[in-house]
Amino acid sequence: MISAFFIYNQKGEVLISRLYRQDLKRSIADIFRIQVISNTDVRSPIITLGSTSFFHVRHENLYIVALTKWNANAALIFEFCYRFINIGRSYFGKLDEEAVKANFVLIYELLDEVLDFGYPQNSETDTLKMYITTESVKSERAMREDSAKITIQATGATSWRRSDVKYRKNEAFIDVIESVNLLLSTQGNVLRADVAGQIMMRAYLSGTPECKFGLNDKVLLEKDPSNRRKSSNTVEIDDCQFHQCVKLGKFDSDRTISFIPPDGEFELMRYRTSDNINLPFRVHPVVTEIGKSKIEYKILVKANFSSKLNANNVVLTIPTPLNTAGVTCSVSAGKAKYVPAENSIVWKIQRFQGQSEFMLTGEANLTAMTHKKAWSRPPISMDFQVLMFTSSGLLVRFLKVFEKSNYQSVKWVRYMTKAGNYQIRF
Amino acid sequence: MAMRGLTVFIADIRNCRVRELEEKRINKEMANIRTKFKEGSLSGYDKKKYVCKLLYMYILGWDIDFGHMEAVNLISSPKYSEKQIGYLGITLLMHENSDLVRLVVNSIRKDLDDNNEIHNCLALHAIANIGGREMAESLASDVHRLLVSPNSKSFVKKKAALTMLRLFRKHPDVIPAPDWAERITNIIDDYDLGVCLSVTSLITALAQQYPEAFMMVIPKAIMRLHKIIVERDFSADYVYYKIPIPWLQVKLLRLLQYFPPTEDTNMSEMLHNVLQTIINNSQETPRNVQHNNAQNAILFEAINLAIHLDCESEIVRQATNILARFILSKETNVRYLGLETMAHLAAVTDELDEIKKHEETIILSLRDKDISVRRRGLDLLYSMCDVSNAKTIVSELIRYLHIADYALREEMVLKIAIMTEKYATEHSWYVDVILQLISSAGDHVGEEVWYRVVQIVTNHENLQEYSAKMVLHYMRSPHCHENMLKVGGYILGEYGHLIANLPGASPIEQFNTLHARFGLCSLATRALLLSTYIKFINLFPEIKGAILAVFNQYRHVLDAELQQRACEYMAIATMPTDDLLQTVCEEMPQFPERESALLSRLNEKSGQTEDKRTWNIGGKDSNDKTPANLLAAKERGENASVDDLVAGVGGVTINGDGEAGEPNGAAQAPAPAPAPAKTGLSWKDQLAPGSEKWYNHLRDGADGVLYEDSILQIGIKSEYHGHLGRLAIYFGNKTHTQLNSFAVTVDAPEGLVIASSHTLATSIGPSTQIQQLYSLECQQIVTDVPMIRISYHAGSTQSVVLRLPVLLSRFIEPIQLASADFFGRWKQIGGPPREVQEVIKAPGKIDLEKARAALVSHRLGICENVDPKPGNFVATGVLNTSMSGKVGCLLRLEPNRDTNMYRLTVRTTSDVVSKHLKEILQTALLFNPQSR
Repeated sequence: MISAFFIYNQKGEVLISRLYRQDLKRSIADIFRIQVISNTDVRSPIITLGSTSFFHVRHENLYIVALTKWNANAALIFEFCYRFINIGRSYFGKLDEEAVKANFVLIYELLDEVLDFGYPQNSETDTLKMYITTESVKSERAMREDSAKITIQATGATSWRRSDVKYRKNEAFIDVIESVNLLLSTQGNVLRADVAGQIMMRAYLSGTPECKFGLNDKVLLEKDPSNRRKSSNTVEIDDCQFHQCVKLGKFDSDRTISFIPPDGEFELMRYRTSDNINLPFRVHPVVTEIGKSKIEYKILVKANFSSKLNANNVVLTIPTPLNTAGVTCSVSAGKAKYVPAENSIVWKIQRFQGQSEFMLTGEANLTAMTHKKAWSRPPISMDFQVLMFTSSGLLVRFLKVFEKSNYQSVKWVRYMTKAGNYQIRF
Repeated sequence: MAMRGLTVFIADIRNCRVRELEEKRINKEMANIRTKFKEGSLSGYDKKKYVCKLLYMYILGWDIDFGHMEAVNLISSPKYSEKQIGYLGITLLMHENSDLVRLVVNSIRKDLDDNNEIHNCLALHAIANIGGREMAESLASDVHRLLVSPNSKSFVKKKAALTMLRLFRKHPDVIPAPDWAERITNIIDDYDLGVCLSVTSLITALAQQYPEAFMMVIPKAIMRLHKIIVERDFSADYVYYKIPIPWLQVKLLRLLQYFPPTEDTNMSEMLHNVLQTIINNSQETPRNVQHNNAQNAILFEAINLAIHLDCESEIVRQATNILARFILSKETNVRYLGLETMAHLAAVTDELDEIKKHEETIILSLRDKDISVRRRGLDLLYSMCDVSNAKTIVSELIRYLHIADYALREEMVLKIAIMTEKYATEHSWYVDVILQLISSAGDHVGEEVWYRVVQIVTNHENLQEYSAKMVLHYMRSPHCHENMLKVGGYILGEYGHLIANLPGASPIEQFNTLHARFGLCSLATRALLLSTYIKFINLFPEIKGAILAVFNQYRHVLDAELQQRACEYMAIATMPTDDLLQTVCEEMPQFPERESALLSRLNEKSGQTEDKRTWNIGGKDSNDKTPANLLAAKERGENASVDDLVAGVGGVTINGDGEAGEPNGAAQAPAPAPAPAKTGLSWKDQLAPGSEKWYNHLRDGADGVLYEDSILQIGIKSEYHGHLGRLAIYFGNKTHTQLNSFAVTVDAPEGLVIASSHTLATSIGPSTQIQQLYSLECQQIVTDVPMIRISYHAGSTQSVVLRLPVLLSRFIEPIQLASADFFGRWKQIGGPPREVQEVIKAPGKIDLEKARAALVSHRLGICENVDPKPGNFVATGVLNTSMSGKVGCLLRLEPNRDTNMYRLTVRTTSDVVSKHLKEILQTALLFNPQSR
C-alpha cells in the first residue's frame, strides 16, 4: 500500500514528508521534484519510475503526493488523497501552503491516524475531530470518556456515527450541486456535454436514524409499472458513488438509497449524466477578421432556463489574438474589459434573468507580426451559477427518516448548477 | 542607459513566485508594448526601453513575434545607446536566415562607412553574430575595407579581422581570400600587437585553405617573431607575466607550421635564432603558474615548428632533452604536452634513438592516473615503434591491455595489430601476438583484426601449420572468446589437415573442440562453423557421420541463414559422388595484396579539432600527406600527379572534416589545380606597365634604372664571374612620407639561385634610398628571367612586378679562338638541332659597330681574323653553370649590306642554349636604343 506521503509547495519544496514503510528513502522526494514538478511536460497524475509509483493531486498551490512500491489500487490512493484534502479543509478552512506551514504538528498527527503502515484508516472528519483536537485540549476526564466512546464507535457497526446524538430540532439539509461541462463546435453542434453532480447532506438528527432517499432515477421508476406514465420526467444516472454509510447491497438489489447518516455534513453521493442535458446558456459568437489589423466581435448570450430563475456571477472570457494592441467594446448588460494578462476580453454580468439575452459588440486592433502565425482561436469559456436549477433534470423525490423514537424531522432541499468546463468554439 | 520602466519590469518578473504569474505579467507587458508600438510616434528613448523589455522576455524564453521592425529602426538612430540596443535586438532576435536580415544590411553598411569608429564596431559585431550567407556576400568586402584601410583605428581593425574570420569559417567560398591575401598579410606588420594577433588568427584560418596565396606571410611572421623574441621590441601593455604577448607568439609559430620550410637562408637563420632563443629562455621553470603556462605554450609550439622545419636539427636535439624532462614532470598538463610533442617528433623523424632512450618512462606513462596522458602515451608508443623495439612495445601493450580503460582498448587492439603486422620479423611471432590479443581482449577486437589474420595466414604458406596448431591450443583453454572461435573455425577448416597427424589434433578432436562451443556462440559464428564442418567432411571423410548429425539437427533451426546452410551442406555431403564437394571445398586462393583495412580504420578515429592538424600520429610514412608537405612537394616542382593530389586532398578531408567552423571547408573545396604550380607564371600577367622599356635597355647588362614611377625608383647594378654573379638593387623613395610594409620577393626560375645577403628593411624613410644585394648562382641552363615583386604600403597597398635583366648570356665568359680551333669545333658541333640559324632584317641601316657592341655586351668574345670574309663576325664564349657543367658557344654573324639583313648562326653544345642564345642576340640586334 502507500509507502510514503509527501506534500510539496509549488516550488517543489517538501512541506510534509511521512514514510510508512522501510522500502523507500526520504531522498525519493527529490526524484518527484525533478521528474514531475520541474518537468512542464508531465500531465499524468500517475508516474511510475523504476518500481516506484507516484500519485499526485494538485490542490490550491500544493502537490499532495502518495508513493507506493506495490501494484496498489490507484483509485483507492486517489480517493485517499482527496479525502485528505477534505480533512484538511474541515480542520483549517482551506488547505494551502500557509495552512500546512501553520499546522505541521497537527498534520503529522492526522497522518498518523488516517494511515497505519500505509493502510488507510478511518478518515471521517467528524470522528477524527473527536480525538484530534486542533488547539484546545479537553479536560482529562472528558478525554477519558470520549476515548472510551471512540473505541466503541470505531469497532461498532456504524463507525461513522455516535449513538448518543441528540437534537432538539431534527433537521436535514440536502444540497444538489451540479457542474455542467460543455464543448460547442463552431457550427453550434454539441461536441461534449455532461453533468457532474454531487449531493451534500447536513444531518442534524437525533439517535440512529435510518434514512431513505429517492431520486427521479429512470431505472428505478421504470421498474415499477405503475409509474411508467410519468417516466418522461426521469433522469438516467450513468455513474454514481456513495458515502460509506449507504447500504450498497440494498442499492444493488432494488436501487433504493438507504443509510444511517453520520452526524454533520457529508457528501452522500456523486453522479454523472450525459443524456438530455438542459444547457443553461446559449452563446452565439460571430468573430470576423477584417484584414490583418482588426477583429470584430459580436457575441450573443441567451439564458435558456425559466424566467423565474436568475443566474449569478456570469463571466464570459473571450480570447483575443496574441498580437492585440487594444480593444474597444460595448455591452448591453454588465461590464466588459480587455485583460491583457490573459489575452482576453472578460465580460461580467452580476445578475442574468432567465430567458433574457445580452449582446457584446467589440473590436480588437492588431499589430503587425514579424512571423505570420495564424490565430489558433481558443474557445470562449463561461462561468456562472444558477440556483434552483439542475441541468440534468434531477429531482429529489423524498427523504424519509425512520427512528425508534419516531420524531418529526424537517427536510430542506436546495439545487444549484455551476459551470464546469463550459466552452464555446468560434 | 538607466531605464526606470525596464528596471521595474525586471523586478516584477523576478518577484513572480510561479510560472503562471510570470506569464500573466509578460502578457500584460506585451499588450502594453503592442499598444505603444501601434500608436507610433514613440521617442527614441521609449523605443529603446520597449525593445529592451522585449529582449528581456525573449531571453527568458518567451516567443517574441513583433518589435523586430522597431529594433531595426533603432539601428539607424544617431544616438549610441539607442543604436546599441537596436543592434543587440537584431543579433538576439534574428537568426542568420531570417528575411529581416535584408532590411538590416543597408543600415549595417551605412554604419560600416560611418566615420564614428564605435558605430563601425557595433556593425562588425552584428555581422559576426548574425553572419548568414546573404550578409556575408553583401558585406564581406566592406569588412575587408575596414580591415585594410589605413584610416581604421586599431580596435576597428581587430574587430574587422575577427569578423572576417567568423564569416570565412561559416562561408569560406564568399571570401575571395587569394585576392585579398596580400593586403591582409601586410597588416601583420601593424605596430599594434593586438591587431597583429587578430589578423594572425584570420590568416591562420585562410592559409589552411589557400596556402599558396599566403606564402608571403612567412617572412613577415618570422620577422615579427624575431622582433618580439630576439629584439624584444614590444609595448609594455602586452606583457603577460613577463612574457611578451604569448598568444601572438604561439599563433605565429603555429601559422608557420602550415607552410613548408622557407628556402630563404636569411629567413631560416632568423627563425633558427628565434627558436633557439625560445628554447634558451625556457631552461628554467618559473615559479608562477601563469608565467610557466605561457612559457610552455610558446615552447611547445616552437618545438613543433622546429620538428616541422627539420627534425634532425640541433634545436630538435635540445628540444628532445627538454621533452624528456617534461614527460617526467609532476604536472599532468606538462606530461601530456611532452608526450604529444614527442609523438609528433617520432611521427616525422627517422632518428628514433633519442626517443628510445626514454622508452621506460613512456611505458610508465601508460599507467598514469590521467586518461588523456595515457592516450598520448599510447600514441607515442605507436609512433616510435620500429623493427628494433616492436617486440618490447607490443608485449608491454598487451600486458597493459588487461588493465587499460575500456574506452582505450579497442584503439589499443587496433594499434597493436598494426604494429605487429608492420614490424614483425618472424611470422610465428605475429601469429602468437595476434592470437594472444584475440584471446585476452576478445571483446575489443574489431572484425577487421581477425579478417586480417586470416588474410595473412592464407597468403603465407609457412605460417599455416603453425597457426593451425596455435589456434587449436587457444581454443582448448577454458576461456575462449568468440572471435578466437571464428579465426579457429576458418583456419582449421582450411589447414586442419596439416596438423591432423599430431597427437591431440586428430580430426575428431578438432571437431569436438569446435563443436563444444558451438551452442554458445552467435548466429553468425555458427554459420561460419557450419562452413568449417563441410570443409571437414571434405578433409576428413572419417568423421562425416558426426558432422551429418549436426547438419541434420540444424535443418530444423529457426534462423533462415543457418537452416539454409545446413540443408545445402547436407545435400552436398550426401551426394553419391564427392566431385561437387571437392570442387566447393577447394583450398582458398591467396588474397590479393591490399592495404590493411586496419590503417583506414585507425584514420577514421583520428582526432578532430578546429585547426587542421599539422601532423598525424603514426610513422613517417603517414605524414607525407600533411598540408604543408603537399605544398612543399608542389613547390619543389616535383610532378605530383593528379592522383597523388587527389589522394592528398582525401587525406586532408579525413583529418579535417569535423572542423567546427568550416563545415564545407576542405571537404567541398575543389582539388587545387595542379597545373600552375609555380607562382611565377601568374606574375607575368601582372608586369608593371611600361617597365618593358627600362628592361630592354638593361638587357645588355648595363647598370641603370629598372623602374620608376611617382613613388618609387628602382635601380640596378650587376657583375658576373663565371656561373656566379652579384646584383645590387636600389630602392629609392621619392615621396616625403615613409613607405611601410615594404617587401621584396624574388622568384627565380629553376636552376638559378638568387639569395639575398641580408634582410631588407621593411620600410623606407622619406626621400631615402636603400640597397639590397643579391648573389646569383647559375646551376643549370635557364631560359627564363627571374621576376621581382615589390610591395609597399603608401596610403594603400601597392605592388610592382618586374623582370630582372638576368639573361642566360650573363653567365658566358668570352674566349678567343684561333681560326683553326674555331672551325674544328664548329664542325664538331655540326648541324641542327644544335645549330640554329636565322636571317634577321636589320631595324635601320646595318651598323657593324653596333652589331659588334651587341655581341660584346652579351659577353661573347669576338675572334678577329677568323672568318675569311671581312665584315663577318665570329664570336665565342663558354656558358658556365655550377651543376650542368660548361656549354661552349660559337656563332657567326654575317651582315649583308645590300639586303640590309643579318644571318645569325649559333652552334653550341646544347640545343637549348643554341636556341635561347639565338633569341637573345636576335632581340639585341633588333633593339634600337634611339627608338626609346
